Amino acid sequence: MDVIVSRSGGLAGLRLTWHVRVDDQPDSDDWYVLIEQIPWSEPPPLPPEPDRFVYRIRCELQDSAPASRAHDATLAERQLTGPWRKLVDLVQDRTEPERAAPTRRPTR
Amino acid sequence: MQQIVPPYLLDRIAHAAGPRFPLAAEAARRALLREPPARLGIEPLHDLPSLLPDVPSSPDRRISDAEGRESLPGRLVRREGERATGDDAVDDAYDGLGDTHRMFDRVFGRDSIDGAGMPLEATVHFGDRYDNAFWDGERMVFGDGDGEIFRGFTDSLSVIGHELAHGVTEHTAKLRYQGQSGALNEHVSDAFGALVEQYSLGQDAGAASWLIGEGIFTDQVQGRALRSMLEPGTAYDDDVLGRDPQPGHMRDYIETSDDNGGVHLNSGIPNRAFALAAVELGGFAWEHVGRVWYDVLTSGRLPIDADFDRFAAETVRSARERYGADSGEERAIARGWAAVGIELPAPEA
Repeated sequence: MDVIVSRSGGLAGLRLTWHVRVDDQPDSDDWYVLIEQIPWSEPPPLPPEPDRFVYRIRCELQDSAPASRAHDATLAERQLTGPWRKLVDLVQDRTEPERAAPTRRPTR
Repeated sequence: MQQIVPPYLLDRIAHAAGPRFPLAAEAARRALLREPPARLGIEPLHDLPSLLPDVPSSPDRRISDAEGRESLPGRLVRREGERATGDDAVDDAYDGLGDTHRMFDRVFGRDSIDGAGMPLEATVHFGDRYDNAFWDGERMVFGDGDGEIFRGFTDSLSVIGHELAHGVTEHTAKLRYQGQSGALNEHVSDAFGALVEQYSLGQDAGAASWLIGEGIFTDQVQGRALRSMLEPGTAYDDDVLGRDPQPGHMRDYIETSDDNGGVHLNSGIPNRAFALAAVELGGFAWEHVGRVWYDVLTSGRLPIDADFDRFAAETVRSARERYGADSGEERAIARGWAAVGIELPAPEA
């Protein structure tokens, strides 16, 4: 599984992305336990705050894993608490961020 | 009070002539201080005399220190009227809040964020090498930066003005922080952030940099600032940061789900319209486009989910109301919007 955290927004509007291959981590079992602890379907509701960061956290599967383990959630900075925060801290600790241009959606 | 030397010139002399002409600078400062304070609340805004950066206002500032943690508000370290602490972040925030309060008070007759003298609170040294500054609904919060790309956020008066303007928007038009209304919320903060800086420098629209966040990058970054209002997309071009992605025209509008729908990106479009109108009109931007934008914010007519077209139409309408139909102000503002690809229907007579 890959965990991809992208942080956008902030006063500067700069986007950073961290990408970790869980299976390459020496403690990959702990990662899977943590990922299962996260209440993926219910990030606590919070209206956006001006100039704060926005985090998008994705867990992407390689081919054979069951589809139920893929996750995708977008959180405001203040919603990053408990296991959410733990996962983001872990990802940021294990890898250097890449700076990327904003992801464009196809226009309308 | 009539003066033969126009106030903007006095202000220039007071601020810039010091090293070479200390006596002239001192005299100009004294002349500026003789200007009586405007009687706000009695006269309508457009009848105020020329407004001067040197006339003080009465803010109620409270600066706290988060001491590197991410908890708010932190320890209160400087209250209104207390002496400088020697901590640059604390003292820059204190001075920047004073400059911002003064512009809103003296130009727009607005005492503080809520218009009723609410305390201006800020927290500095938030987090560990925290690369951001924000408004949390109650206070401005400033990180120290990582030291490699950002060297801190309290150095730039346009950034401090930007954050405080978020508070003003929250208390007035309440533009929803998503998509186009979110980009307008950002634009309004950039516009008033730039005006605060220009007002404090006594700078006219032609002389202004129109940069937001000048001085917050370290010397290692190839860039002048976070954003350029006049030339969006040109503020930086750096190996690590990449190139400033802001569009300056509707044809380049960015559809994205990042950043609440690209609020810090697409704000380049209204930013450029505002700066172009200000430069075309010349003189002090806070005296024309600034007033019109403030009228729009406080009119009660702007929906919280206004898009660019609606906002643009309201600025033209407010310009007509303040300066008259087919006034230079109305035409310059409409031309500013047209230049960024927002064509407005001809106003009804």
